[in-house]
Amino acid sequence: MSSQTVARGESGRKGIAELAGKYLTFALGDEEYGISILKVREIIGLMEITAVPQTPSYVKGVINLRGRVIPVLELRIKFGMPTQKYTERTCIIVVEVGAAAGTLQLGMLVDSVSEVLNISAEEIEPPPSFGSLDVDTGAILGMAKIKGEVKILLDVNSIVGKGLLEKFNAA
Amino acid sequence: MADKMLVSHLLDDLAIKILVVEPGDLSAVGELLESADKLLAHAEVQQKAVLEKMVAAFKKVLEASIMGELPDSPENFDRLAQSVSFMQEASRNEMADVHAFCRLFTEIGCVLDAADFGISSSPEEGAAAGAEEGEIDSRFLADPELLAAFIEEAEEHLNSVESNILALEKSPGDSDIINTIFRSFHTVKGIASCTDLDRISTLAHATENLLDEVRNKRLVLGQEATDVVLAVCDRLQRMVENIQEVFEKGLEHYKSFEVDDLIAQVERVMAAKPLTAPSPPPAMAAEEAGPATPPAGQGKVDLGSGDLPDFMQDADLVAGFIAEAFEHLEAIEVHVLDLEQAPDDIDIINNIFRPFHTIKGVSGFLNLTTINKLAHSTENLLDDVRNNKLPMSADIIDVVLGVGDYLRGMVQNLSDMLEQGPAAYKDFDISDWVSKVELLQAGGDLEAAPAPPAREEAVAPLSPAESVAPVAKGPAPSPQAAPSQEEPAKGAAAAPAKQKIGASIKVDVEKLDGLVNAVGELVIMQTMVRQNPLITGIADPKLNKDFGQLSRITAELQKTAMSMRMVPIRQTFQKMTRLVRDLSKKSGKVVDLVMEGEETEIDRNMVDSIYDPLVHMMRNSVDHGVQKPEDREAVGKPGKGTVKLLAYHKGGNIIIEIIDDGQGLNTDKIRSKAIERGLMKGTDQVSDHEVNNMIFLPGFSTADQITDVSGRGVGMDVVKKGVEKLRGKVELISTPGQGTQFLMRLPLTLAIIDGIIVRVGQERYIIPTTAIQESLRAKAESYKTVQGHGETLMVRNSLVPIIRLSHVFAVADSCQQITAGIMVVVENEGRRRALLVDELLGKQEVVIKSLGGYLQDIKGLAGGTILGDGRVGLILDLAGLISASEAKGPCPLISAPAPAESDSAQEGAEENAEQLLL
Repeated sequence: MSSQTVARGESGRKGIAELAGKYLTFALGDEEYGISILKVREIIGLMEITAVPQTPSYVKGVINLRGRVIPVLELRIKFGMPTQKYTERTCIIVVEVGAAAGTLQLGMLVDSVSEVLNISAEEIEPPPSFGSLDVDTGAILGMAKIKGEVKILLDVNSIVGKGLLEKFNAA
Repeated sequence: MADKMLVSHLLDDLAIKILVVEPGDLSAVGELLESADKLLAHAEVQQKAVLEKMVAAFKKVLEASIMGELPDSPENFDRLAQSVSFMQEASRNEMADVHAFCRLFTEIGCVLDAADFGISSSPEEGAAAGAEEGEIDSRFLADPELLAAFIEEAEEHLNSVESNILALEKSPGDSDIINTIFRSFHTVKGIASCTDLDRISTLAHATENLLDEVRNKRLVLGQEATDVVLAVCDRLQRMVENIQEVFEKGLEHYKSFEVDDLIAQVERVMAAKPLTAPSPPPAMAAEEAGPATPPAGQGKVDLGSGDLPDFMQDADLVAGFIAEAFEHLEAIEVHVLDLEQAPDDIDIINNIFRPFHTIKGVSGFLNLTTINKLAHSTENLLDDVRNNKLPMSADIIDVVLGVGDYLRGMVQNLSDMLEQGPAAYKDFDISDWVSKVELLQAGGDLEAAPAPPAREEAVAPLSPAESVAPVAKGPAPSPQAAPSQEEPAKGAAAAPAKQKIGASIKVDVEKLDGLVNAVGELVIMQTMVRQNPLITGIADPKLNKDFGQLSRITAELQKTAMSMRMVPIRQTFQKMTRLVRDLSKKSGKVVDLVMEGEETEIDRNMVDSIYDPLVHMMRNSVDHGVQKPEDREAVGKPGKGTVKLLAYHKGGNIIIEIIDDGQGLNTDKIRSKAIERGLMKGTDQVSDHEVNNMIFLPGFSTADQITDVSGRGVGMDVVKKGVEKLRGKVELISTPGQGTQFLMRLPLTLAIIDGIIVRVGQERYIIPTTAIQESLRAKAESYKTVQGHGETLMVRNSLVPIIRLSHVFAVADSCQQITAGIMVVVENEGRRRALLVDELLGKQEVVIKSLGGYLQDIKGLAGGTILGDGRVGLILDLAGLISASEAKGPCPLISAPAPAESDSAQEGAEENAEQLLL
């Protein structure tokens, strides 16, 4: 069974079976996304963000997380979705990403946090191909179908991956 | 007074007991020991130091005789009885004859030096103290630094052995753990033999052999063996503790430990090993091939095999050696330079001799044959010098310095190898230096007796234990000179080391930084809580008092945390001594370097960064400032020039001054050069002081001919750049004919920055105060444009390009009117810019924080900080900001002065501005 699922996964991508686990899901507009709960450090309400000049537009700036200065990305802008006014439910998910020099903390600004879901391997499908369409699938691990709804599972590391780091420096 | 009675009573008691005691009667001797113990306690109460020491020595002899280490002959007991009468004299406050007392003990076979009683020993007694068969072997005290290192390291290793053995009991046969234990004993053995602690070394060695059998699977580490190893570990711990006590409190605390019983146990366990184990499995074979520890007897190492194969086995040990060697080499350099001033000072020669000796010892132990050989031959040379077999000469000083440099290169290569692997290995040819050293030594040999043959043998690297021992004894055989020279030096060197041990611990720099950060946050949080409107609304005296207390405590905590990262500037200064020496020699000048304030502390992270600027400034002072002796005498100055190097704290800064008494700057030539270079106009009214400081401009640094013109300018922009990087300032004051003074002003620490907080739109930025020259509200008439879009501001008769922060950083809703905002004139690397900001918010010390990995390298930003309200503020990096603004180009002009946006706000800003004008 598991070997079959792995075979279904695209080459170079992690086996789907490994993707099973607990996910924190959140909403961006009408879409539901999930990130592995193991990457999540905490969820904080919206706080004042200090804009940092000369960075890509999706870098909203930096915040003071109990004495640490951490960057905050707005996922809507990152994914090329239209921005909207922040609401009471807007919040920042603080995640930990791996980097060459140890782990880094990073905030992701999302519309709202939904729930923690236990997603099994059977519910996960590899990400669809959009051909030449302008959809960034690099950060998508897979699609989970739960009770008729689709959750897009994201790889936190590739949201701020190496390529993006280069963009930062170019900016 | 009752005490005094008691003491004399006890002494009488003791005198009677000792008369009736039969040699060999252990219980009687035990009783004596008890009385001595009581006596010691009372002597302590009465603070009779001399008596106390006498009793201690007495006790020690008794203990030794119980242990069977001293012949308990009737003669010895007679001597002990005599010593009691000396004690009685001492207790009656009469002048006891300490020398005679010591002689008695020496006769017994226990070395006692009158110097220990605070009484100067007469020469013959000093010599007697060196008796070879002394029960208390004090050789290990010869090198306090090495000993301190040993104690620290041995304790660490023994502790790890203990925990590892316990771990091994849970998972028997784990070869990693066995190897770790093995290595610990190996290290303890090695360093103990370096420091002449023979017993510790022997015991550790025996245990190491046992473990070697275990790790090569020739022996199973059973319950019995484990127990033995633990027992050894305990014993070693106690021995090391005692050594530390001796080290701190003096020789009379020395306790003699028996190790033979444990060694016998170890050997029994080894002999009882089952002989079933066949040849070691392949994995083990490889390990065995690595000669990390050749067991005794087969330890000869081939001289021709070079350094490479062996020492990498023991990276910890090598790393320790590297760090130590660098320190020693530095010490050598410093002392050699001292020696130049006072060539006959035997103490200084000893101070040079000892580090070489240590380097030789440790390198020999680590099988670093080339280093060992070079250090050894130099040591021999120095030994001849200090034994007056060879006169001190300039040649010797030069060679010793040269050898020091060469050794440094070798040690550096070692450290490279540790980091990058064996590929970094470089071959060092020491034959050149060795022959130079030997040539010098031979020159001396013509007049004096040849060097003792024992030294020659020691050149060949032997097994670790052997290679160190003979040389360590090296100084001893020359009886007329060695003791009298060594004694004072030993005392002097031991004194400062005493405070060090136990009082310092090594801490990971990262942990330290974490602490400093956390404390910084604490300070900010404290301010935030205090400024909370709810809190400020409470008019409770108790609360106010508590807050005052809280801020005092946090301030204290911050101070302590900061001070933990501080180190004295001494090391950096000492490097200058060498520089000045070399420079003055090369240029044929006589220069005296006077240093003050070497103990001034600076941030550890700054030490490396101030070195380059210092070198350049020193070079300037010696090369260009101080004239040649004949020129100096011509103008009525002493032929010997003086360069002063000062460091001190002043107003939250560290000031480093370099003052020479040379010719000063030729201001006229600098002025004409500046005009030629277009840095100023001939008609400009520029003060001499300003002109002089132009040598820091980049334009003045590169071309050679500038040296002819100004007599200055060797990389002075490097100085300025370096100092500015540290957020410091450098200034120059020159008095023609009198000399030049460089003044370097550096912040105490790199973690905190003094800044002005400015507002641009809704954003707040922090500008480092050191970069700010002034801030002002621009008048319309001083605003000039170039070609319609290059904006400049006329500030005190010079045109300063304007940078609109809002433009460079794309900030919305900010003040666009030059006349409405505040202009902050900043300077960086000689470039002046006027920054347009909306308003100045205040001055604050802030803790610099990284913006987090991904945002680290943003041009124009040096980092972030948490402001008083908890928000993040961004700290400007002016060098980056200027280049960013140049890259971005001028901003589209806002034509014609528009009406001010809100007058009231402007006025507020104006008030602020006036307060903050710098």
